[in-house]
Amino acid sequence: MPSPSGSAPERTRLFWFLAKELRELLASRAFWLLLLMIGPLVGHGFITAVDSYAEASGIGGGPAALAQGLSPLDGILVPAFGAYDLAVTLLFPFVAIRLVSAEKASGAWKLMLQAPLSLPAMLLAKGLALVGAWLLAWMPGLLALLLWKAYGGWIYGPELLNLLLGHLLRVILSCGVAVAAAAMANGAASAAIATLGFTVGTWALEFVAAGRGGLLAKLAAYTPTAALRVFEQGELRLATVVVAAALSLAGFALAAVWLATRRTLPSRLARSLAAVLVFAPILWGAAHLRPTWDLSENRRNSFPAADEAALRQIRRPLAVTVYLAPEDPRLMDLDRNILSKLARILPRVDIENASHSSAGLFERAGDHYGEVWYQLDGRRAMSRSTTEPIVLETLYRLAGVEPPPRAAGGEYPGHPLAVRPKGAAPLFYALWPLAVALAAWLHLRDRRRS
Amino acid sequence: MIAGPASMLLSARGISKHFGRNAVLQDAGFTVRGREILGLIGPNGSGKTTLFECLAGLIPTDSGEVQFRGGACPPVRRKECLFYLPDGIRPWAGQSVAWVLRFFAAIYGRSPEEGAALARALQLEALLSARIGSLSKGEAKRALLALGLLTPHPLLLLDEPFDGLDFRQTREVMALLRTVPAAGRTLFLSIHQLTDAARVCDRLVLLSKGRVVGEGTLPELRARAGLDEGGLEEVFLALT
Repeated sequence: MPSPSGSAPERTRLFWFLAKELRELLASRAFWLLLLMIGPLVGHGFITAVDSYAEASGIGGGPAALAQGLSPLDGILVPAFGAYDLAVTLLFPFVAIRLVSAEKASGAWKLMLQAPLSLPAMLLAKGLALVGAWLLAWMPGLLALLLWKAYGGWIYGPELLNLLLGHLLRVILSCGVAVAAAAMANGAASAAIATLGFTVGTWALEFVAAGRGGLLAKLAAYTPTAALRVFEQGELRLATVVVAAALSLAGFALAAVWLATRRTLPSRLARSLAAVLVFAPILWGAAHLRPTWDLSENRRNSFPAADEAALRQIRRPLAVTVYLAPEDPRLMDLDRNILSKLARILPRVDIENASHSSAGLFERAGDHYGEVWYQLDGRRAMSRSTTEPIVLETLYRLAGVEPPPRAAGGEYPGHPLAVRPKGAAPLFYALWPLAVALAAWLHLRDRRRS
Repeated sequence: MIAGPASMLLSARGISKHFGRNAVLQDAGFTVRGREILGLIGPNGSGKTTLFECLAGLIPTDSGEVQFRGGACPPVRRKECLFYLPDGIRPWAGQSVAWVLRFFAAIYGRSPEEGAALARALQLEALLSARIGSLSKGEAKRALLALGLLTPHPLLLLDEPFDGLDFRQTREVMALLRTVPAAGRTLFLSIHQLTDAARVCDRLVLLSKGRVVGEGTLPELRARAGLDEGGLEEVFLALT
């Protein structure tokens, strides 16, 4: 009679648990429904995007936009994969919740708690299965890319990989939240409400932060939607990656605490608090990580190379005082065109928003409203501009750095393409749903007893 | 007969458990000996399932101590000593019987042949391709018993192992369970049908309103109840 300690090796057991989770996913109608719906969703985004891109490229004799403004990242990749943001927000949590809640409701979890595998390893198997399922759901997105290439469209590899990384982190974060909710809630319905509550909460945070700025704005930068937006802009920020990964890990840690039913409620609450205390400083530290990489083909997140070389001569901290209300579009322009780029180049940039007034229609702005003050080594300069060359000139003057000569050429050429999305509608609206429905029927049908 | 230390496999002392103000277990204590079939007897609501879940470390106890082979066995280590098969569960309803058996055999290091032998013994061969969720109550019970018997733990706790089985199946499962101690394992069965318990168990633990009111063989319990004759029903009524 073998003893429990003499059972199968840990790696073999983990493999079997992973197989179980994958089979459980395939036995779930929620997962098949997700697969069924993701095709038309992606297809709609892709078809609309290709049509819009073609019109901007001058199809049918219409006026074409400037070629430099036609980037496949903005025009095709982001809209086509935008369906995944919708799916991961509104559909995927139900798939993830079921993977935990079904075992709790059926009593299977009582067997699993006694199984010869640690709870973290079991949760790892669930997480890996969920990510695997999500990669399967990427098939329509990848088909869209293949179609785009077949049309003669251009894809810049680093941009695409960065965008996929953003969507992957987004789904891992969603897994963490859903698994934690399923572990803590009594049933799947409560877990679903909690998960949707979290999502709506992040939307509310973004909405409020857009009008108030400050700490709320810093927090809102790490909501799932805001984090994904960074990747959609072709930027890879280490802080965003680590914060998203740490938040996901925190969700799984909370799940591990609440799924260990042998502990009393006070013990679980204490351990949850401990998890929060452990992860809070990690998240705070991660949010201050500075390395970023501009992976966009048109270098939209960077100054021109000559300017970056000139700016790197500035080694002292730059203080920026902004008199613009958080909801003022000029602040958004300033942040996107100037401040975020400066933060990537200079060793230290301290930004303070000193505006206490509002840009509302019926409110009087403060005396300094609209001013942006730059301070370096005790010298100060003011500019109201949010335009890159003007602000850079101000900074060069302030720092005593020789401005680089404006080099001609080397600009982003753009990739116009005036084609219609041939074959996309039948593929995404008919073939994909039919294939998924057939596969689901074959898998879920009742088998006869032998 | 009192269990000597040499034959003691597990002992529980002072197990108490409240759900809110409801005391489900009160100072419960007993001993499980090696290679025996011990029956946990009590009416519905007497705390049998709660006691098993406390023993298995699935739910916290308010107080009490469990020793395994003479050493302390905290809840976190219980899964190394014993396996508890709950009653009324329907795990992985979408999976086939064959796959669930294969999964259990694999994670517990059992060979596929051992799984096949158990499937034969429990007459599951005709159900191997059926999904767990499509099984009748009795079929599901037999599939679950196969899972429990696939585990290699020295002590196996089965909650209502005959619930849902017909008369013939009950006899066959009893015969199968009687062979388990000979293979070196100990069974602790929770049974609310006293006639079934009397037929299959070597010793009995009587539980009433969360308290252990008797422990021993039927003659020992009869003597404790002050009865000269009578079956388990009479003994149970006399002691509770």
